[in-house]
Amino acid sequence: MIAVSLALLVVALLGAPLFAVIAASALTGFASSGIDLSAVVIEFNRLAETPLLVAIPLFTFAGYLLGESGAPQRIVRLTQSFLGWLPGGLALVAIATCALFTAFTGASGVTIIALGALLYPAFQYAGYPERFSLGLITSSGSLGVLFAPSLPLILYGIVAQQLGVGRPVSIEELFVAGLLPGLLMLVMLGAWSVWRNRALRAPLAAFSWTQAFAAVRESAWEIPLPFVVLGGIYGGFFAVSEAAAVTVIYVLVVEVLILREIPVARLPDIMRRSMVLVGAVLAILGMALASTNYLIDAEVPVKLFDAVRSHISSQLTFLLMLNVFLLLLGMILDIFSAIVIMIPLILPMAIGYGVDPLHLGIVFLANMQIGYFTPPVGMNLFIASHRFGKPVLELCRAAIPFFFILLAAVLIITYWPALSLVLVR
Amino acid sequence: MVSTSGLVRGLLRALALAENAALVTLLGALVVLAGGQILLRQLDVALTWVDPLTRLLVLWVGIFGAVAASRENQHIAIDALSRFLPPRLQLAAGAVVGLFASGVCAVLAYEAARFVQFEHEGHTAALGGVPAWILALVLPLGFGLIAIRYAILFGSRVRALAAARADT
Repeated sequence: MIAVSLALLVVALLGAPLFAVIAASALTGFASSGIDLSAVVIEFNRLAETPLLVAIPLFTFAGYLLGESGAPQRIVRLTQSFLGWLPGGLALVAIATCALFTAFTGASGVTIIALGALLYPAFQYAGYPERFSLGLITSSGSLGVLFAPSLPLILYGIVAQQLGVGRPVSIEELFVAGLLPGLLMLVMLGAWSVWRNRALRAPLAAFSWTQAFAAVRESAWEIPLPFVVLGGIYGGFFAVSEAAAVTVIYVLVVEVLILREIPVARLPDIMRRSMVLVGAVLAILGMALASTNYLIDAEVPVKLFDAVRSHISSQLTFLLMLNVFLLLLGMILDIFSAIVIMIPLILPMAIGYGVDPLHLGIVFLANMQIGYFTPPVGMNLFIASHRFGKPVLELCRAAIPFFFILLAAVLIITYWPALSLVLVR
Repeated sequence: MVSTSGLVRGLLRALALAENAALVTLLGALVVLAGGQILLRQLDVALTWVDPLTRLLVLWVGIFGAVAASRENQHIAIDALSRFLPPRLQLAAGAVVGLFASGVCAVLAYEAARFVQFEHEGHTAALGGVPAWILALVLPLGFGLIAIRYAILFGSRVRALAAARADT
C-alpha cells in the first residue's frame, strides 16, 4: 500500500492529471478492502445528485463572457474616475477592479489576462516603479477569492456539505463570511500601495463630475450586475444556483444582444474554453467523492486526528501548524485540488479542535490564495510572465512584499475568527 | 492517396468537432433550463423533471469538458517539477504521465461499462421513464475518450523521444 502511494506521488509530481491520481488511489483503496471497483464510477456519478453544482458551469461561463467583452476596460475606467484623484490612486484602482473581477471569474487566471494588459501600461504611464506594478498585478490576480460568487468558495461549500461533519455549512453563509476578511486584504494592500508610492504626489487626474458621469453611463449595464447577484443572494431572493442562472442570462443579453461586443459566432469557442476549466474541476471533484468515501470507510480522518492530537493540544497551535502546512501545500497544489483533496482530512480535525467550519473555509482559501503567486508553481506567476514577457524569477522578486502583506492578513484572519463570523451571526 | 496516419488525424478532428458540438449543446441546454426554471417558479409552475435533468446536464457538461481538457492536456496537474526538467526528461515524464492516465481512464471506462450493465440488468428507470442505463452511457464513453487522448499523448512523447535519440 505504501509502495502504491509512493508511486502515485511520483507520477503526480511528474505532472499526471490529478483526477487520474485520485482515481488510482481510490481504485487501489477499494481493491484492497475488497469493494467492487465500479464503486468509483458510482461515486463519480453522484455529481449528478449535487444540486448546488450547477452554479459552477454557469458562473464560469458568465465570467469568461465578461472577460471577452469590453467589461474589463469599462471597470477600469469607472474605478479610475472615482479613485484616480487620490495619491496612489491607480494602485487602488487595480486592487479594486482585480478583486471584483476575480470574484466573478473564479480566479482562473482570467483576471491577469483581461485586466493586466490594461493596468500594466497605465502603471508605466503614471510613473510607478516597474517592480511594484508587476508585483501588484501578479498578486492581485487572486484577490477576490473570498468574495461571492467565487468558484473556490462554492467548491469549499459543496465539499464541506458532502462530508456532513460539524454544523452544516451553507454557501450563502460562506459568501457572507468572506466579506470582511476579503476587505481586510484589500485595505492592507491598498494602504501599503499608497504609502509605497507616496513620492508620486501627482494624482492621475483631478476628480471630475463629467468624467465620472460618463464612466457611469458607459458601464450602466454592468453596474447593476454585482447588486443583482449579491443583493439577490444576501437578501434571500435567490438561491446560489438561481443567482448563477440569472448572472449568465444577464451577461449574455447585455454583452451579446444589447452591447453586441461578442458576436454570436464566437460563443461556441468561449463556451468550450470555459467548460475546459469546469471539466477539469468537476473531474477532480468527482474522483475525490470516491476517494473520500474510501478514506472515511478506512477511518483515516479519525486516525489522523488522534495522531495529531497526541502532539498538538491547543487550537492556537493547530491553527499555526495549519497556516504553515497550507503555505507549503499552496506552493505545489492549486486551490481547487487542495480543496477537494485536503478538506475531507482537515475539516474533521478542525472541528475536533473547535474551529468553526465557516472560519476554516475562509482561513483555507485565504491561505491558498497566496499560493497563486508563491514560487515555484504559483499559476499567476507563469500567466503574468507569459502576458508581460518577463522572466518568472523577476515576477517572484516583484511579488515578495505583497506576499508578506497578504501573509499578515492571513494571520489576522486565522487568529481573529470573529472577523469571519460576526456578520453571519 | 490517403495515408493511414492522415485518416486517423481526420477521424480525430471529426471526433473533436463532435465532442465540441456536444459540449456547446449541453451547456446551451443547461443555461436555458436553469433560466427557465426561475421563470417557472415565478409562474408557480412545478415540473418535476426539470431539476434532475439540470443536474444530469451538469454531469454531462463536466464529462465533455473533461474530454476537451484531456485533448488539450489542460487537466489540473502539478507541473512544478516537470517544468524544471531538461527537455528530454520532460518528454520521458510526459510519456509516463500519458501511459498512467490512459491506463487509469481505461480501467474507469471498463468499470463504467459494468455499471451500465448493472443498470441494464436491474431495469432501473430514471428521468421520464428513460432507462437509467442509457443515461449512464456517457460515463464509459467519456472515460474511454479521455483514455484515447492520453494514449495519443503517450505515443507522441515516445515518438519525440525516439527522434531525439536518433538526432544524437
